[in-house]
Amino acid sequence: MTRETTDGYYEAHWPRSPRQERVRELAPRLESLEGKTVAQLWDQLFKGDVVFDLLEEGLKARFPGIRFVSWREFGSTHGGEEKEALAALPRRLKDLGVDAVISGMAC
Amino acid sequence: MLRASAVCEAAGFPTSSLTCEGFVRQAAVTSVGIGMPNIPIALVPGHIGTKTVKELREDVLGVTMDEVVANLTVMPAAKSVIAEPRAREIVVRGGFREVNRYFVEHEYSDGLPIVPPTLEDVEEFLRYTDRDPGESLGTLLPDKRAATVWSIAVNGVMAGCRPEYMPILVALIEAMCDPQYGVEHSGNTPGADTLIILNGPIIKTLGFNYTQGALRDGFLPNTSVGRFWRLYLRNVAGFLLHQTDKATFGNTWRVVLAENEDALAKIGWEPTSVEMGYAAGENTVTIARYTGGGSLSSVSGSTPEEMLPYLADSVQRFNNWQITFTTSHGNGTLRPLAVVSPIIAQTLAQAGWSKADVKRYLFEHARRPAYDFERQLRDWNIRGVWDLKDDAANARIPKVFHESDDPNRMVPIVWKPEDYMIVVSGDPLRNNAYVFAHNGFLGYPTARKIDLPGNWNRLLEERA
Repeated sequence: MTRETTDGYYEAHWPRSPRQERVRELAPRLESLEGKTVAQLWDQLFKGDVVFDLLEEGLKARFPGIRFVSWREFGSTHGGEEKEALAALPRRLKDLGVDAVISGMAC
Repeated sequence: MLRASAVCEAAGFPTSSLTCEGFVRQAAVTSVGIGMPNIPIALVPGHIGTKTVKELREDVLGVTMDEVVANLTVMPAAKSVIAEPRAREIVVRGGFREVNRYFVEHEYSDGLPIVPPTLEDVEEFLRYTDRDPGESLGTLLPDKRAATVWSIAVNGVMAGCRPEYMPILVALIEAMCDPQYGVEHSGNTPGADTLIILNGPIIKTLGFNYTQGALRDGFLPNTSVGRFWRLYLRNVAGFLLHQTDKATFGNTWRVVLAENEDALAKIGWEPTSVEMGYAAGENTVTIARYTGGGSLSSVSGSTPEEMLPYLADSVQRFNNWQITFTTSHGNGTLRPLAVVSPIIAQTLAQAGWSKADVKRYLFEHARRPAYDFERQLRDWNIRGVWDLKDDAANARIPKVFHESDDPNRMVPIVWKPEDYMIVVSGDPLRNNAYVFAHNGFLGYPTARKIDLPGNWNRLLEERA
């Protein structure tokens, strides 16, 4: 005996909308960290201060000419004033002669 | 963190983003939304919060450092972005079960059956707004998708809303798009959920529950509009569990909380809409994210002085670690919410107290010792570098937080009395209250007026 279907028929639309961001290129990479200035950006959460100290120690041992600009120079990159902090970053990094950035912590 | 890295990359500075193991997948998905799918990360094994100093040292020097060097000196391979359907495309044809299976498999659903969003139903929703279906109300992170009026109607249909809820849905997404609200933080690990507070005559017009069981599912408008919010976060903002929604626990969406404006009118208290800057009698939505909270059973007493110590104590206890938003990190964005039943509000008002008076009382009495405040954040939580004295000395928080060096001095949990929010709802004849623990700038209270279409009354007559 055939059971009558009550499942209906529907043509359902996509519930999302197109992404608005095109793919952007990354910044050129450095040939080496030797003699370069590296900025530390921190959201001031999750022991980032300890991690940056350890990275400084290890990277200085591997690249004796490397220089760091402490996270203390920038304030938090996350929090109630994130938008203002991020907007100021490009100028600040340029003024401080920064070549590369280490950013944390995603935890 | 990735947002900061993206700003640096766009400005010409190569970056390495330090990422704990549990966040690698979130970073991969978020990187697509910021337009840099190959932005490099450096792994921090496990979770940093549970490691000994020795373990952390081994992991950072043995694993993370090599990845940092590679991130900064080797260009990551390009990653292509997966092709998607076009706007308004029909993505599946078939029966109810087939459509629902497809929506679950493609992560478009919350796990419950959805109403298939057909053209007929979507167009019926669109009749209840004067806006163009193609209009974008903003762009939502992390997916960076356009919040179009069309997509609001589609997700409203899916949630089981009725077409006449559409003006509320549009106002909600306008609020979601407001930078002040901070929708981009909606996947943070405490797993806060949004509470929608509804004000205005539309509460009665559309049959929202605003009395007994006000926060429970069971009434179509309260429940389906709450579900719509979560579906929109999923489908358009892009918050999916195991990807960009990193709620450690989370919970189901909250139903809409409609304020009891009859009770407010009787006692002369202004509705929440007025506190949010709108005229009394206007239809408004107010959104904010809360990490939790709880109910207060039997707030007893016949005067404010007898009733309010219980409320003040509970406000302070329920907003525990959330005081991180009171510090400079949170820029004073903690906004605790107390929902009181009409009979409590009536008792307070009979003594001549306004909402502002109650807020002042909470500011002065919902306090904790300074040493305890600092211990919670610096020693127990995630703030390694911080103290009240330093914040106050540098004018990053109000002076009330450091009026002396006495570690036992009592400090408030918000910056000013107006930071408290009070809503009147729930069982009119029960003396209970509910305190919500707020999530600060990661879901700051934001309101919007609900714009009704020009032919609103005629449309309602048609449906009747």
